[in-house]
Amino acid sequence: MNDFLQTQILTELEDAVGRENCSIKEIDKVTHSVDYFWLSRMWADRGRRMPEADFIVSPKDATETSKVMKIANYYKIPVTTWGGGGGTQGGAIPVCGGILLDTKRMNKIYEVNTDSMYIECGAGAIYKHIEWAANEKGYATMHYPSSLTCSTVGGFLAHRGIGVVSTKYGKIDDMVLQMEVVLPNGDIINTSSAPKHAAGPDLNQIFIGSEGTLGVITKAQIRIYEEPEVRRFRGFLFKDMSSAFKASREVLQKFKPSVMRLYDEAETASLIKKIVGVSKPGAFMNIAYEGVKELVDVEEKILLDTFAKYGAEDLGSEYGEKWWKEKITFFYPGHMMDLPQMFGTMDTIAPYDKIEKIYWAMKEAVEKNFPQAKFIAHFSHWYEWGCMIYDRFIIDEKDVPKDPVEAMRLHNAMWNLGVRTAIANGGVVNDHHGVGFKLGRLMKEQYGPAMQVFEGIKKSLDPNGIMNPFKLGL
Amino acid sequence: MNISEKAKGIIDSCRFCWMCRHICPIGNATGLERNTARARALGASMVVRGATELKEISKNVYECALCGACTNNCMTGWDPKVFIQELKTEIVLNGVAPDYIVGLIEKYSETGNIYGKKACSCLDSLYGNGGKIGLFVGQDALYNVPELVKKVVELLAKAGVKVDLLKNQDSGAALWFLTGKTEETKNAAVACANALNEYETVIVYDPQDYKLMKHEYNEWNVEVKAEIVSINEYLLKLIKDGALKVKKGNNEYTLQDNYFYVRDLDDETTAREIIASVGVNKEMLLKGKETNMAGHLIMNEYMPEVIKEVAQNRWINAKNMDCNVIVTESPAEYVLLKATAPQGAKVLSVEEMLLENI
Repeated sequence: MNDFLQTQILTELEDAVGRENCSIKEIDKVTHSVDYFWLSRMWADRGRRMPEADFIVSPKDATETSKVMKIANYYKIPVTTWGGGGGTQGGAIPVCGGILLDTKRMNKIYEVNTDSMYIECGAGAIYKHIEWAANEKGYATMHYPSSLTCSTVGGFLAHRGIGVVSTKYGKIDDMVLQMEVVLPNGDIINTSSAPKHAAGPDLNQIFIGSEGTLGVITKAQIRIYEEPEVRRFRGFLFKDMSSAFKASREVLQKFKPSVMRLYDEAETASLIKKIVGVSKPGAFMNIAYEGVKELVDVEEKILLDTFAKYGAEDLGSEYGEKWWKEKITFFYPGHMMDLPQMFGTMDTIAPYDKIEKIYWAMKEAVEKNFPQAKFIAHFSHWYEWGCMIYDRFIIDEKDVPKDPVEAMRLHNAMWNLGVRTAIANGGVVNDHHGVGFKLGRLMKEQYGPAMQVFEGIKKSLDPNGIMNPFKLGL
Repeated sequence: MNISEKAKGIIDSCRFCWMCRHICPIGNATGLERNTARARALGASMVVRGATELKEISKNVYECALCGACTNNCMTGWDPKVFIQELKTEIVLNGVAPDYIVGLIEKYSETGNIYGKKACSCLDSLYGNGGKIGLFVGQDALYNVPELVKKVVELLAKAGVKVDLLKNQDSGAALWFLTGKTEETKNAAVACANALNEYETVIVYDPQDYKLMKHEYNEWNVEVKAEIVSINEYLLKLIKDGALKVKKGNNEYTLQDNYFYVRDLDDETTAREIIASVGVNKEMLLKGKETNMAGHLIMNEYMPEVIKEVAQNRWINAKNMDCNVIVTESPAEYVLLKATAPQGAKVLSVEEMLLENI
């Protein structure tokens, strides 16, 4: 883009959001060019600049967002939406330049509605801040991912995030009542006033998970919950994962624990040993159950009886409580994988009849084809019908190519193999980190002709293709 | 870039970590991605790697209040303040400081304080009383809220304590904030220590000065022979000894924890004990080390709108918990919260609260 045109667009954007909320400073460009995606971090670590936006724009609400959309559409320049930048899939990286729309000025908490049990807030609110707002009134959001403090409400909605108590309270897509969305043409729309209805397809669920490719979420009503009267933990050690799956499936037909985390033998012997202190061999499982005390007493009995039937060793509450206390510690630097290691989380989800097969197939594929990689996994979001695998590969520094191009080649080859293996065995591209730039190419492989539904919606809403290009395979 | 290996290590650890973003009072006020510890570290790491220039990150470095919220939040124990302070020294020495920072440094050179003000003549009678106890109020109070200085003296007098207001009220805190550990900062600290050492005991009013004297002076081998004691510690002792007679009532007060006291000096209790001696502690959700405010009068000189927003955000915290009377421990927080107090809310310094209950 030439200087003259760039300056013209800049003045129009400044007119839309205010001069102080529109930046072309280098620090802002650099800051918004690196998210939690391993490749972006590696690129920066090697002293290379990632693709950068031409303009960093921070609208305060839907009206200002709408103005930005109209300018972008007129000049046909890309718009990449950025919430907290904590995504692992490169979804917020402005790979084609253009406008980087940072939502964090839209952080107002409008209402804590304790009659209908929701918080209405701007999509740029940091999730931890709405948790504080709920706590101040004696409630909780029950959405506790490791990125709770890093990420925004809109960010979680955009990629279908999930927290550690999801088994009882649901994913982010279960936690939203209504949303305000700015379409690529600048129109401001609201989804249905209630999330459950028979008024056609669910507009919420069209935009949740769309990763900024169909519009910008600017406001949301997010559910809040009563704090549980009691929250109890119980650690178990299974001899193998098969018996843990059977036991868990049986429990889930009777009640829903809040936390269910099953670790494979490798992760039990590494991370769990290091952080939680479990040193015996086997598959560690941590369960929390919570709510009204009388009900929890009954749930506890069901849990203990069922798990005993499948040979689980009851480790008591200590490990679970320690895990709860340390659940975010894992993600601070120095506690888990970090550069110069290469690593990735290839989380996927499937029904119970496929999940174990996927685990073994992915483990075998990674370990056989990339012997330099370590494969660890846990299963941490459970349903009556199946569960999620949080499987990770880790390559130590000595085996990571120094040349960033070769490092990217190895990284992408590992992802191709891992995700293709998951899909081939009945899994999906991703469970809760999203697709982003990292996995876009694999969407068509999962969906086949069904992809035309997404493509059709995209073409209709965003005919100029300006919204977050090269993300989500769109 | 001439920074320590320690600073480089922290930069490389923080540059890809977002875990503390929620607690940064400046980032929460601006909503700007660059106002995070990770963005500052990322920018610095790119300078270290030759991918950008120091001047490109200098303004962002000065947008940090050094409140230590990120440091307190870090489960690993990294301290972003370390590299921020070293970067400031580099920025100043390389002549790439923002114009407004250069302006403040020049004002300091010309007048002895960054505000370019003269001390209020209303304080003239407080200097040179010949007492053995000195009162060090610091530059924020001296040049911005002299009425608070008078109230401290009035309160101490009620306990029979006569104090001398020190002539030298420059601990080096302003230079430390603006330039990091430079020769000029250290010279100011040495001059201050010499002034303190003319007394047996010095009561230090502003927590930023107290923290500097307790921590940095030791690190810089600046010797303070006088016993230095914070105003809160001194007042609590007077109350406990019965020298300061206060009335216990049922009024509710909410402490605005000062970040130097709670994070650097590990003192969450002294002010709460003082409040408990006259009324009832009513807490905000974010209290103690979790306090979410960076009241800073130096930053208020060059980014007043942001600092105002920081204070307004704190009032939102307070109002959400029905806290209507905020008690401050530092002149900066007193000034900023008072300027933004919503209708029906009130700000008191610790001394003002005690004077109301005598």
